Amino acid sequence: MDSEGLTNFSEALMAGSLTDDQLIAQTGRPSLVNIIPDANVVKIGGQSLIDRGRSAVFPLIDEIVANLPRHKMIIGTGAGTRARHAYSVGLDLKMPTGVLSVLGTFVSMQNARMIHYLLAKHGVPFIEPAQFAQLPLYLEERRAVVFFGMPPYTFWHQNPAVGRIPPHRTDTGVYLVSEVFGTRSMIFVKDERGLFTADPKKDRHARFIPKITVAELEAMDLQDVVVERAVLELMKAAENCRSIYIINGLEPGNLTRALNGEHVGTIITAD
Amino acid sequence: MSAHTDRRHHVQSLLMRESLVDKAVMTSTETPVVRMLPEAHVVKIGGRSILDAGRSVVYPVVETLARILATKKLILGVGGGVRTRHVFSIALDLGLPTGVLAQLSAADANGNAHILGTLLAPHGVVAIPPEMFGHLLPLFIHAAPGVIFNGVPPYSLWEHPPGVGRIPPHRTDAGCFLLAECFGCKSLVLVKDVEGVYDKDPKGHLGASLIRAISATELERRAVPSLPFDRVLLRLLGTARLLKQFQVVNGHKPELIEAAVNGEHVGTIVFAG
Repeated sequence: MDSEGLTNFSEALMAGSLTDDQLIAQTGRPSLVNIIPDANVVKIGGQSLIDRGRSAVFPLIDEIVANLPRHKMIIGTGAGTRARHAYSVGLDLKMPTGVLSVLGTFVSMQNARMIHYLLAKHGVPFIEPAQFAQLPLYLEERRAVVFFGMPPYTFWHQNPAVGRIPPHRTDTGVYLVSEVFGTRSMIFVKDERGLFTADPKKDRHARFIPKITVAELEAMDLQDVVVERAVLELMKAAENCRSIYIINGLEPGNLTRALNGEHVGTIITAD
Repeated sequence: MSAHTDRRHHVQSLLMRESLVDKAVMTSTETPVVRMLPEAHVVKIGGRSILDAGRSVVYPVVETLARILATKKLILGVGGGVRTRHVFSIALDLGLPTGVLAQLSAADANGNAHILGTLLAPHGVVAIPPEMFGHLLPLFIHAAPGVIFNGVPPYSLWEHPPGVGRIPPHRTDAGCFLLAECFGCKSLVLVKDVEGVYDKDPKGHLGASLIRAISATELERRAVPSLPFDRVLLRLLGTARLLKQFQVVNGHKPELIEAAVNGEHVGTIVFAG
């Protein structure tokens, strides 16, 4: 191959091994481009928000629409109770994790379509992974897009360490969109104030945590946390998305405040 | 508690109202798994090590594959080779993130899948477009002696940031491993240009010695500075349910590919544990 114009690094990369630690470390040196730095990624919970129907979803849609003039939003959807049903059926029938991932994708796709139809009159499109190349145009023209939160791993989904449920679900898929595009914020809209020391739906003594680092959270070794553990794991390796917000979408005004950069709910930071 | 008391409309199921993050709930989902394609073998043909090495290396490999295909079902994955390295180096220089690198790399491996597909076309084996490959794989495997796919897993923009550097951690070896695991295939053979795993990089060290068999944990502990496969495979083996080992063989001795698919130990076997 003609190496004219290539740097020493390029030549080293072509000749060397991608498992060579020294070479790999060098690949992190160039400063990263933020691809869509002025957009926010907003995740709407499946079980927490969408499964509640109109009473929870309509006010949130109104708040999204009210914020369109000021904030660009990449809106991802969770899966929720139908995914739990599909996973239960699939587990009983001995389906592998990759197949359960496909089933979860279908459910988060249904939720994305419903959210999309509620935003359609504002010109907001629904995009599948193959259409992400159009994302910048849609954000520029219409200020928001809706996508399904499940990452497109399908049959290539990794096994969890324990159990069979796909470990990288909709929180992870939405988080990775924020990381790859270098967006200004990552907001998880759920039905609790934020992170608690236990599931507040099951434990009345659960204590609210307004701000915490991933390391502190890991040290607490909680039985349950408000976002997928894979998100916390990925945050440690992330270059762009080093903090996430978790807010209660059942309280009007929280999304607006989070979009404006105010501290509502819980902020989890990588360091 | 009825399905409505928490104002979320649930579907009755074992996992109803449960947090899928709760450790106890996750433990309860540890169930056996069916094997979708228990007779098929996954063979990964290296990009840089085989397909970029020219006719003198590729043609004998193709002849061997054709012979194996007479009696065995093969799922052939390919690497992207030197073109992937090149596009990585340009994209890195431009400051593009890991997810974009992963998206770009699929194209090179796709090209290599079509090259191998052209050579194996007389045997009814062609490259299948990635969009339809996974869902139709059992149909293809029953209808043809084998199929070819670009080994790249469909992580694309959703590739995980690696922590150190920006090279996508799930490359074509990982794509082949994850596919073999999900479909419960009989074996995974990684065809490279070395005899297997050495304690040092054999390309730079004359005294490097071959490791015939080793566990993933032991290999990780030894921190060999250069492995002939994606390092993430060591972690993936740790959570594997169906594919408990893979073998690395030297494709410059193509008879070793046939031996490995027949279950013989001719390269390095890395096993879970």
